[in-house]
Amino acid sequence: MRLIKQNIERKDGSGSATLLPEEPEDMWHAYNLIRENDLLRASAVRKIITESGAGSRSVDRVHTTLTIRVTKTDFDPQAGQLHVSGRVAEENKHVKLGGFHTLDLELHRNFTLEKADGWDSVALDTLKEAVNQDAKAELWAVIMQEGLANICLITEHQTILRQRIEVSLPKKRAGSTDHEKQLQKFFQTTFESLQRLIDLVDPKPLLLASPGFTASSFQQYIKAQAASGGDKRIQRLLHKIVVVHSASAHLHSLGEVLSSTTVTKQLSDTKFARETQLMERFFELMRNDDARAWYGPRECEAAVERGAVGKGGGVLLISNALFRSQEIKTRRRWVRLVDEVKDQGGEVRILSSMHESGKRLEGLGGIAAILTFPIEDLDGGDEGGDENGGEFIHNGDDAGPLHGIEGRTEHVDIDI
Amino acid sequence: MHRVKKVEYEDDDLYSGEEEEADAEYTAEDRDNFATLTPVVRAELEEARLHASDREIEEALWHYYWDVSKSVAYLKNTRTPRPAQRTEKKEQPKSKFDQAVQKSAEKADWFRGIPWSDLPPAQLGLIVPCEPVTHRPMMLGGSSKLAKLAEERRKKAAAAQSAQATPDKALASLERLGRPREANENEAPLSRPDTKKYPLRKRKESSPPPREPSPTPQTPPAEVQPSLRTSPTAFGRVLSTNPAAVRINNAAALDEMLDPFADPSPDDAVLRITKAKNTSNELANKTKDLSLEQHAPSQANVKSKGLDVLKIWTEEKPKRKPSAAFVVIGHVDHGKSTLMGRLLLDTGAVSQRDIDRYKKQATELGKASFALAWVMDTGSEERERGVTVDIAQFHFSTDHVDFTILDAPGHRDFIPNMIAGASMADLAVLVIDANHLESGIKGQTGEHIVLAKACGVSRIVVAVNKLDATNPPWSEAVLQDVVASITPLLTASGYKPENVRFVPCSGLNGQNVVKAMSKKGDASWVAEGYRTLLEELESCVAPHDTEEMVRAPLRMQIADVFRGSVTNPLSIAGRITSGHVQTGDTVLLQPSNERAMVRGIEVGGNGQEWAVAGQICTLHLTEVDQQHLRAGDCVCDAKNPTPAAKNFVVQLTALDSILPQAVDVHVGRLHAAGSITALISTIDDAGEVERKKPRVVKAGQKATARLVLDAGAALEAGTRLIIRANGSTIAVGEIIRAGG
Repeated sequence: MRLIKQNIERKDGSGSATLLPEEPEDMWHAYNLIRENDLLRASAVRKIITESGAGSRSVDRVHTTLTIRVTKTDFDPQAGQLHVSGRVAEENKHVKLGGFHTLDLELHRNFTLEKADGWDSVALDTLKEAVNQDAKAELWAVIMQEGLANICLITEHQTILRQRIEVSLPKKRAGSTDHEKQLQKFFQTTFESLQRLIDLVDPKPLLLASPGFTASSFQQYIKAQAASGGDKRIQRLLHKIVVVHSASAHLHSLGEVLSSTTVTKQLSDTKFARETQLMERFFELMRNDDARAWYGPRECEAAVERGAVGKGGGVLLISNALFRSQEIKTRRRWVRLVDEVKDQGGEVRILSSMHESGKRLEGLGGIAAILTFPIEDLDGGDEGGDENGGEFIHNGDDAGPLHGIEGRTEHVDIDI
Repeated sequence: MHRVKKVEYEDDDLYSGEEEEADAEYTAEDRDNFATLTPVVRAELEEARLHASDREIEEALWHYYWDVSKSVAYLKNTRTPRPAQRTEKKEQPKSKFDQAVQKSAEKADWFRGIPWSDLPPAQLGLIVPCEPVTHRPMMLGGSSKLAKLAEERRKKAAAAQSAQATPDKALASLERLGRPREANENEAPLSRPDTKKYPLRKRKESSPPPREPSPTPQTPPAEVQPSLRTSPTAFGRVLSTNPAAVRINNAAALDEMLDPFADPSPDDAVLRITKAKNTSNELANKTKDLSLEQHAPSQANVKSKGLDVLKIWTEEKPKRKPSAAFVVIGHVDHGKSTLMGRLLLDTGAVSQRDIDRYKKQATELGKASFALAWVMDTGSEERERGVTVDIAQFHFSTDHVDFTILDAPGHRDFIPNMIAGASMADLAVLVIDANHLESGIKGQTGEHIVLAKACGVSRIVVAVNKLDATNPPWSEAVLQDVVASITPLLTASGYKPENVRFVPCSGLNGQNVVKAMSKKGDASWVAEGYRTLLEELESCVAPHDTEEMVRAPLRMQIADVFRGSVTNPLSIAGRITSGHVQTGDTVLLQPSNERAMVRGIEVGGNGQEWAVAGQICTLHLTEVDQQHLRAGDCVCDAKNPTPAAKNFVVQLTALDSILPQAVDVHVGRLHAAGSITALISTIDDAGEVERKKPRVVKAGQKATARLVLDAGAALEAGTRLIIRANGSTIAVGEIIRAGG
């Protein structure tokens, strides 16, 4: 994504930014940036029905630029499309104020975003990350076992499942070759799907992961195809194949795959590597039931309140799904928490909910913290119940939004 | 990947000389068969008060490939329904069909020499040539593929039959649908038919020691003769009873006539009657299977006979030979498959000839020591890599027990398959390499013990393998060492000492596996202090089916979905967890919620009328599409099904720390992705809640947790499950509540 222009006030975060999405991944960033009540200005195609005096109706499709106040966002990760619904906030000759419109953000078309309640630190971080023009690592992964293959595209911020192939394979039976025949057929199906999905002209690294020998058999299969078919492009693809081990073909096994050294080398993504490392550390502490690791919204907030997530190793891991909350209050609550940790000198990692480590974090309620000192019984207060997930009711909410703004100044240093 | 194997060896066999002999004259062998079979057919016919010339019988036999029952039925058939057909012809204007009929009738000298004198006077002289014409193309295996197929089958069957004893026992029940049994790999080479077209039914099974006679279902009283005559075809029936209806039903009747397979063939009637005489005879099974194959896959449904399975099962119980399935577990390369290959070789379930062949092939791959394992490892990948990948199933019998081997893979990547095997077993054989004890305990030995117990296997035989390779060989100290280090693992996983046996042995050389060791020499302590593996296995067998289990509603987990044969295009295999099933039953498949009909049942390779809890069986299904079936799905009683659910409350024993996280859930063959979404509480040994909402469950603790599967699965409360993550088992437990 390119930042075309911005006029964000350092003090209160007011102002707008104009952005140009260049690749599908940018839609994901936009999805994380655009919130309810924000003002979004983008080009749109609007159907205009005009009724003449005689009663005849004519329908025109008009290209126009609309500004809407967002009511809903809808992201399709598979297609990389973002639909933003809202009400027209600026009247023009075609559309009346208050009319409904859904903007489909398109690649290579500018859009301008103005935050309803100003650009907070998290939004600015997201923006900074979105406009980062460093070469983006991208790779394809086929995570498989006999009879099941998941073809995913792994980018810096997302893991997108592009195709799932599930075949009922007969098990081996003495004297029957059905199993092998069907296995070859399964490979064929998988390979054909793969060929359709990936760009063979400029192939990205391709990761084959499986328990046992399935992945290497599949590699052999591709080799055989490259040798027999005349397609040179497949031969080029061969050099890009890396075979790694995974515990199963289920998507959650990707975590293991992505943290393996072969892959981290390929990805050369320090951000992701750091996140994975921190997650591992967190799980390690949890395994030992170390009181320095806590997860869950209330526990983490309590820990931050006590100043335990500060200088000297304090880490707050938080999924960006939490910032996409519909409730402004909830969103602010998390922004405040992030700011507080930063104030205390702790490290904040906002993990992509579409990425592997982020998904793991989601299982833990979307938030986890590694404390600088152990605190026992952070959750001790609610031994008695409140089963129905009261974690979003936070008694500190009325501490005021001002609290969050303090920490902001240092982050408004976008110079591009 | 494209290696030449045993299978190809057979293919050669099967494809040789096909079609060359289609028009050949009768060979000497044929004549021999004629000589033996013609009197039998004649006797059968005479029983039904019919006459046929030698030539006619021979011709029938030849076309039916020595299938006595079919020939008889055919000959009978050519006589009975004829008169009615004549009437039809008179009334019909000369249609295209008739013209065709006439044409072919001119070519056919089919009826030469047939004595027509014995027909009832009312029917005399009403011969119509259209009947043979409609049958002929199918029977002769002319142009239609189906006919060819049927022909191949007949040939095959004929070969088997000619090698078997008296052909008059060849008649058996037709209702017993079953997958035809292939000639056994280790039987003496039969006089195989020369012409085989399709390499059908290549599955081999072992069964050489005399098997327990297949349970005889309560046979209905033999039907009276006259029913024979009325049964031939619907067409015949319609015509003979109401000639006026012919005109109306003409088109339909014609259709039926053109498709002789659409209705129960006259064979059925004959077979049904003769079945009572010899139900449990192997040959009978074969012929039965054969007659089944005549039915196209689209064949109408099998009617349930409404057997009271529970009653039959109870009645037969005392007579039945006990059976048991055991899973072979242990660390990779500790010799599980080799030990099983040895067991099969020494019990005679696999012939030395096969082993020699494997040895030769294995030597070519530079893996001579794997020859015995190749009995189990049939996949090309398994053989190339010398590692078992999936469960291998093999049946064998001793004088006392019918065994089913489930040879599990030892490699950690294939633990899902091992779990599938263990969940079908009654007892376990833990194979331990005496020389590599440590690696095993750190590796899969320990995990397998826990998993076997978690799957509900409560008895275990520990085979301490490769004792011939210890230093010094057959050292008792080594064995004691193994016993000392394994026993704590077993007790920790909940095995009672009385359910654990140790057997020192060597799988590669076959010492103390089936044959006891000599009482002389260094290893005399083995013969004195220990029984052989086989003896120990036999002593461990306990009845695995109780009345409550059989009485309960049907539950069976699908372990495999495969193509049984051309006639049984959709078959499933698995162990019946509870309840019983019989042919003709309608079952419900979950979670797809589809109904299917059971066309046939096989237990241990033999066709059966029914199967009960505890048996590992194959069900041939019909009226369902394969896409609704997955390994791991549940076959259940249509009236009392297991609902599919996604949310479960489970009670777990943690083997590693558990957090809310994504996990792999294993229930037998089912391998589902899911996640633990909440830890509800930890529980102390007394079952009391220790702490609500723990933040982590540590290894060794018990806890209740909420489990959500990504896709629905048919699991009930009480089902045992295993939870794994990142390739290691983190918890075992069971479902407390399903749904909600």
